[in-house]
Amino acid sequence: MSSFSNDCATHTHSRAKSYWLGALAVMPLTIAVIPWGILAGSFALEVGLTGLQSQAMSAIIFAGSAQLVALGMIKAGVGLGSILITTLLITSRHVLYAMAMRQRISPLALKWRLALGFLLTDELFAIANHGQQHKFDPWFALGGGLTFYLGWNIATFIGIVAGQNIDNLGELGLDFAIAATFIAIVVPSVTKPSVLICVLVSLVLAVVCAVLEIQSGLLIATLTGMFAGYAYASITCESVHQSDQSDQSDQSDKPAASEESK
Amino acid sequence: MMIWLTIILMAIIVFASRHVLLEPKVPIRLSKKTLTFLSYSAPAVLTAIFAPIVFVPNNQLDLSLSNPYLVCAIVATLLAWLTKNTLLTIVISMGLFFLL
Repeated sequence: MSSFSNDCATHTHSRAKSYWLGALAVMPLTIAVIPWGILAGSFALEVGLTGLQSQAMSAIIFAGSAQLVALGMIKAGVGLGSILITTLLITSRHVLYAMAMRQRISPLALKWRLALGFLLTDELFAIANHGQQHKFDPWFALGGGLTFYLGWNIATFIGIVAGQNIDNLGELGLDFAIAATFIAIVVPSVTKPSVLICVLVSLVLAVVCAVLEIQSGLLIATLTGMFAGYAYASITCESVHQSDQSDQSDQSDKPAASEESK
Repeated sequence: MMIWLTIILMAIIVFASRHVLLEPKVPIRLSKKTLTFLSYSAPAVLTAIFAPIVFVPNNQLDLSLSNPYLVCAIVATLLAWLTKNTLLTIVISMGLFFLL
């Protein structure tokens, strides 16, 4: 609604202002990721990585869940092949994020595509797709993405320093930050029965595998959950993109509207 | 050396998954069925990661209400469901967790 009245103001927005608005928008999620980053840094040391390697994980990979799961697998002595397959599975959701943002990012210059691609996390996707549908602003996304990157790496650094000085950091319950963040992302995404089936199957299997200490539990739980949701949707002929529609229609309608108003 | 190799290969996989479809020259060859299947990947992966943290703390199944992870996860679920507010859900459930 406010997009039309804001349009005049948008023109005067400098790049810097968009950048800082993006940084501001991602701030709550950046604060929420701090305990998680501390855990990533301290856990990496505990697994046996050097300080440099621990920081490099956050700086180069920049994917919290993939990092923590891989660290758990390294600790358990799982082979490189399994770690990479699991990474592929965990990161596969980003393909969908890129897909959703393709229309708006692919026309940009290569440096933008590389930068925003590198920074495309769950959190950046969340802020770039809320309230910014009217006019995708790469500076807003860059501000959000870089702020989150910085926050994640500073938290990792704190974890590395703290991990060297404090024992049993893992017992402080920092891992609840992961659970809280993922619950906050997953629960609102359950908009149709098939997603609920998918989540419940994945949940039960993940717990069963954890109790039985099955190493590939994540893989089994995730794939079975995805198949269960997909099968339920196919059998009941549930409308295919129902869950995306509320988001997608916003995305596809509003940019068009804002272009008309130019 | 093995650790560095793991880090670099993981970084390539993660970056590729985020970047490939942003390239205009990459034609989208994903069928509608594949996309539907992939649409379940985020909820399935995220759930499979958080479920053991909540239900199996310290490597032991704990379904009792004396398990703070479980209690706070239930609170987080209710908050997320009722408010749809990510920040509120995270802040209140984490605050409660560190109090317990």
